[in-house]
Amino acid sequence: MSAPAIELEGLKKSFGLAEIIRGIDLSIDKGERHAIIGPNGAGKSTLFNLITGKYQATEGAVKLHGDRVETLKPFQINRRGLSRSFQITNIFPRMSVFENIRCGLLWTTGYKYSFWHLVDRQPELTEKADEILDQINLLGRRNDLAGVLTYAEQRALEIGITIAGGADIVMLDEPTAGMSHSETDYIVRLIRQVTENKTLVVVEHDMGVVFDLADRISVLVYGEIIASDTPENVRANEKVQEAYLGSVLEEAH
Amino acid sequence: MSTMEQTSTRSGATAGSVLPALVPWAAAALLLIALPFVFQTGSSLTIMNQMAITIIFALSYNMLLGQGGMLSFGHAVYMGLGGFFCVHIMNWVEYDELYLPLPLLPLFGGLFGLFFAVLIGSFSTRRAGTVFAMISLGVGELIAACSIIIVAFFGGEEGVSGDRTMGPEFAGLDFASQQEVYYLTAAWLLLSAAAMYLFSRTPIGRIANAVRDNEERAEFLGYSQRHVRFISFCASGFFAGIAGGLFAINYEILTEENLNLVTSGGILLMAFLGGVGFFIGPIIGAIVFTLLQTVLGLYTEIWALYVGVLFVLTVMFFPAGLTGLLAIHIQPIRTGKIGYLYAPYAKMFLPVIAFILSAAAVLEILFHARHAGVGEEEMTLFWFTFNSQSAMPLIVALAILAGSFYLLRRFAPELREAWDEASHVESRR
Repeated sequence: MSAPAIELEGLKKSFGLAEIIRGIDLSIDKGERHAIIGPNGAGKSTLFNLITGKYQATEGAVKLHGDRVETLKPFQINRRGLSRSFQITNIFPRMSVFENIRCGLLWTTGYKYSFWHLVDRQPELTEKADEILDQINLLGRRNDLAGVLTYAEQRALEIGITIAGGADIVMLDEPTAGMSHSETDYIVRLIRQVTENKTLVVVEHDMGVVFDLADRISVLVYGEIIASDTPENVRANEKVQEAYLGSVLEEAH
Repeated sequence: MSTMEQTSTRSGATAGSVLPALVPWAAAALLLIALPFVFQTGSSLTIMNQMAITIIFALSYNMLLGQGGMLSFGHAVYMGLGGFFCVHIMNWVEYDELYLPLPLLPLFGGLFGLFFAVLIGSFSTRRAGTVFAMISLGVGELIAACSIIIVAFFGGEEGVSGDRTMGPEFAGLDFASQQEVYYLTAAWLLLSAAAMYLFSRTPIGRIANAVRDNEERAEFLGYSQRHVRFISFCASGFFAGIAGGLFAINYEILTEENLNLVTSGGILLMAFLGGVGFFIGPIIGAIVFTLLQTVLGLYTEIWALYVGVLFVLTVMFFPAGLTGLLAIHIQPIRTGKIGYLYAPYAKMFLPVIAFILSAAAVLEILFHARHAGVGEEEMTLFWFTFNSQSAMPLIVALAILAGSFYLLRRFAPELREAWDEASHVESRR
């Protein structure tokens, strides 16, 4: 049995005196679709930033495929096959949609810091980028500036950039935030399609999306995971009901 | 206007014919070859040489500012150091300590610029933004100060000088004439500009844009923002060094002035004036600036004031620079709506000219009245000769200024309307 895709051991993070993440143990298997839910301020985004190298953990370990990575920088973690999206749309607004995707491709296709290739003369690069544009339904917007896309299109582009490099672990931070129902449906379908056979970790507020998408759900409350189980068991869990889900599910009805 | 020369947005056409891409370069080559036949005097050759050197320097500067989002206040250092090194090489060649044909000299200027860029970039590119800007300022002042102290290399206040003609002949040329130097400079200009353009189309060039736009995102795509900035910085230092080598060949002397803040600030000004968002922006900026400096400098002592005003107006009203001002017309031309603009432009033309000339007249009259020597009360301005101490000329100039300003204000709404009309695009979906 191979090592889990992501493993957290006794992970803690403090900002000054405030302890935001208070000791998290979590293991996410290869190919799993894992959702992290919890009330605002529970530390979901901080946890994301710890795993992806944006923040350094105060204590504990982060392992990718069994290797410790908690001291690595974001670009080093990305090179190990983990890619993430952002809660606030984080694209290259002054570049074309096509170029946004191509930038996501350059490292993993082996161009790295090359200054002896011309990007426009690499047919396989162009082809691959167009393929991804087709997948995320933005082929028609190929040559437009990313900054002028609609919000939903930008969110799709965000996911496109994230998966372009072919990372086997994909982490999405609130992919449906601020979307209408139909847009949400579209994005969920897109996520399903582009993360097939990959490990997916998603932070999400929309419980419909979470229960629809996830194989397992972890509930994060005040920097601790109070439950980590299948959707059915999490829904039935009393502690979860009390701390979080009860109120959310009621609101939803 | 999302396409055309705007470097940041030009998207990848698939590998196809190379021919269309070569047209502008062939045209530029022809222009460079033809120019000396049109402008034959020594002074115009000097101006063109200066322009060519400044263009290379400005393009190298824009690799930092426009392409990489790094605001440098000390870019003259790399051009200056490259230049100093080249003058020393020139002297070694003169005393037969070294064999090097003159045309290859700028390459060594580039390598020396690159060497220092590696040295200084290794710590200055750690952070972008204000930190980078402050370090560049500090290093720039440091090296300018060093140049006065380290006399052995920089020659103290009088600088170091050499003689380009003392080297081995190259294809029968000894580079004693301005014209030969011009063609040498022009060849390096074409080569450097093409290399810098191609650099912007490589993976590292594209990622430099990405880091400029959103450094955090680039990090999560496998790129170290620091490495990306460092590589751009080194490339930029290399081309600045080439400009320095050409400077050494042209002027045969380098002084502290080539390293200091004035030169560094000047190149920032040129890049902005031309437009940092476009590859050709710095070229236009360098040409306009050099023309103002040399040609306007012949006619008025306060040319720097006009350049300053032009710069401030550009930054305030056309942040995309002169190239941006031209580029916004591309879309109306494409959609065939440029016609809406003809009438308002024609109406504005005379008032604009009157406004600029009368404003300049006011400044010139005041300047002359205050600074002319005793008894030199007569001045000639725009073919009129008058007494600068009397009130009448000033009153006339002010009246024209006020009148043209009034007309401009009156016509402005019409122009704005025409613009809205011309830039309106029918929704595509």
